[in-house]
Amino acid sequence: MAARKKKKRHPQPQGQPQAQAQAQAQAQAQAQAQAQAQEQAQAQAQEQAQAQAQEQAQPQPQSPELDDEALEERSSLEPRADVAEISAYIPNVEDDALDGGISMESRNTREITGDVDAELRAVEAEVDRIFHEQSRRPRRDDGPLSSVVNRIREVLPVELPGEHGDLVDAAKDVLSTDYYLRQWGRIGLRNRSEEVDEFGLDPVYEQRLRPALDFLYKTYFRTEVSGLEHVPSDGRCILVANHSGVLPYDGMMVRTALRREHPAHREVRWLAEDFIFHLPFLGAFMNRIGAVRACQENAERLLRSERCVLVFPEGIKGVGKLYNQKYKLQRFGRGGFIKLALRTGAPIIPLSIVGAEESAPMLYRIEYLTQALGLPFIPVTPTFPALGPLGLVPAPTKWKLTFGPPIDLEGHGAGAADDALLVVRLAERVRTAIQKSLDTMVSERKSVWFG
Amino acid sequence: MPDSANSNGRSAAPVRRKARGRVVALTGAASFLGRNLIGILEEDASIARIVAIDIEAAPTGGPKTRFYELDLTQPTSEVRIAEIFSAEAVDTVVHLAFLASPSHAAAYAHELESVGTMRVITACRSARVRKLVQWSTTLLYGARPTNPNFLSERHPLRARQDEPFFADKISAEHEAGRFAAREKGTVVTVLRTAPILGPTVNNYLTRYLARKIVPTMMGFDPLLQFLHEVDAIAAFKRAVDRDVPGVFNVVGDGVLPLSTVVKLSGRLGAPLPHPIARPMLQALWVAHLAEAPASFIDYLRFLCVADGEKVRRELGFTPAYTTREALVDFASAQRLRDVNLLQEPSAKKSGKVEQVTE
Repeated sequence: MAARKKKKRHPQPQGQPQAQAQAQAQAQAQAQAQAQAQEQAQAQAQEQAQAQAQEQAQPQPQSPELDDEALEERSSLEPRADVAEISAYIPNVEDDALDGGISMESRNTREITGDVDAELRAVEAEVDRIFHEQSRRPRRDDGPLSSVVNRIREVLPVELPGEHGDLVDAAKDVLSTDYYLRQWGRIGLRNRSEEVDEFGLDPVYEQRLRPALDFLYKTYFRTEVSGLEHVPSDGRCILVANHSGVLPYDGMMVRTALRREHPAHREVRWLAEDFIFHLPFLGAFMNRIGAVRACQENAERLLRSERCVLVFPEGIKGVGKLYNQKYKLQRFGRGGFIKLALRTGAPIIPLSIVGAEESAPMLYRIEYLTQALGLPFIPVTPTFPALGPLGLVPAPTKWKLTFGPPIDLEGHGAGAADDALLVVRLAERVRTAIQKSLDTMVSERKSVWFG
Repeated sequence: MPDSANSNGRSAAPVRRKARGRVVALTGAASFLGRNLIGILEEDASIARIVAIDIEAAPTGGPKTRFYELDLTQPTSEVRIAEIFSAEAVDTVVHLAFLASPSHAAAYAHELESVGTMRVITACRSARVRKLVQWSTTLLYGARPTNPNFLSERHPLRARQDEPFFADKISAEHEAGRFAAREKGTVVTVLRTAPILGPTVNNYLTRYLARKIVPTMMGFDPLLQFLHEVDAIAAFKRAVDRDVPGVFNVVGDGVLPLSTVVKLSGRLGAPLPHPIARPMLQALWVAHLAEAPASFIDYLRFLCVADGEKVRRELGFTPAYTTREALVDFASAQRLRDVNLLQEPSAKKSGKVEQVTE
């Protein structure tokens, strides 16, 4: 009985949702009809699962992956490798226990047999929370400065002198350089996470920056988004947009738009030009909030991990557009994004951005001696060199983002990416689609400032 | 013991291997990787004998280890190595005689790394060794702003050729590549490790991060990648065990920005503008006050991160430690060292020793 059920309710990892739903419905019907029998069966299944889990856990030393070499590796230096090996087994145990037929009705059994990992994590989170609360709480509430102390702690995660001791400890702290070093380290890590993703996005840092990005998005540029239904909720896709503005705000704003407005809160990584990563400060900053250097390898890696990638095929020529060329798409690179789409099978979604090109209207580009600065050009805008760094603040134009219907490139075969003519033709098709949409949007617009 | 092996003849290497176990030779046996690898091979029942070649004996050698004192920089050393390989019926050569840290003795380094590799490979060829495993590093890809975030093994080696530390290693790797192309029957495995970090290893990187104040480049925060020392040793063991020819990046999972690396190791970062830092570091290097010459500044500015997918797929090796875990492991040992609680030779001192031994 239990064995039969086990087969039916085997959790399928998104492969056939229908079949799974059917199996679940069946199981529910069963549960209603014969609740008692079900309970018995569950008890059996639970025992079985436990037995299985034990079996899984016990024969570890004989298992093929833990052969002599692994043991030797372990014995050489460290006690940690075996922790990793054992933890490699835990998911197996969990899977088997879940397979054992206890999926939804009884949470208790599942807690006992299955989610050891989840349980542990919950306990860890709880302990972390308690520690955190403890560390936040001032030691001496009765002191005259307690409110000031609390205020400081809210802003800076420092540990005040003598916090974990008496007056002597406080004096020691104040006099030791080590104390100041420690506090400096704490302050330094306050707005960044200890781990970044593989392309350098720092989630904590971005979280901190969110209010500023939201302000730019909502209040400053008053961005309007349409056609969001064309962006799939999951899976790989390439957004292709017109590039603009001396400063690359467009990538950030598209990222913010999809995070805020898309039903699935899609996370976009945008590909930025090389020169940004040559520059001090800007490169590190952009990298931390989600920009990735534009190259085929990076884009392919992102798409293969089923992410949404924003590309600006105009590249550097798009950033360097003069004001009189606004909303006239430049050459679309060498069609790299088409090759990418053909190779990875990702759909291309055209995106037209109106408003961004007026936010930093460039009147002239200085191209002399810019090599030494690592810049492609020095922009001259109505405000830029004149007002100094303040001139880099964009004008508060009204932005509109319009996502077009996806252009599917499937059906071109495997070798299509090497067919240069086809690539050029497809790139031109995408370019025309965006240009058309831009033209309509610009002609329908009444005001640069109010849309 | 070698008599029965020899009676089978030279061509019957696999038979010999099954009958008596393999003979593994290590060059640079007293280096960090060498002495730890010897310790592991000693415990492997399938290894009949370990031939340790270096200018000093490895302290981890056991009953299976035979030590040969040999200087790879000596002009006729290839003849002697070939003799040793033939006499011991060596099956696998693990070539580890490389400097882990940049050295002031550039001529010696060139002789050891570039020419020494040529000598070892000549000996391998004449003794018809079945397999060669060579150490290399991902630093050889070079830190460039135009690098993709993850460099695959097919990417060209673009490290600065004007820096002898890289140039010698690149030429050594080319030598191995040519050997692999010419001798089709020989298994040539090159492991490019990310900078190695851990509680016991001592190289330019651990000395850099052991400073109270760590110089960084103002405005640049590249993503870094490390390999835990245990994983480095385990990767070589795996390469000895499995016959998979090719070049492999061996790297820890994940990346960390330099600023976070400095913070996690409990140090103070001192951001310097790079146009000033370059001549300054070169002067300090000449004065023996810096861990590395000025060409290493690139690695504090730009990306040099390799993709460890191939080693996972083809060699079946998965590192146990991530980049962050390797760093934290190093930092916890370093903290003990800072307050003299870890009884070890100090970083500077043993660094000198290592330079001479390797």
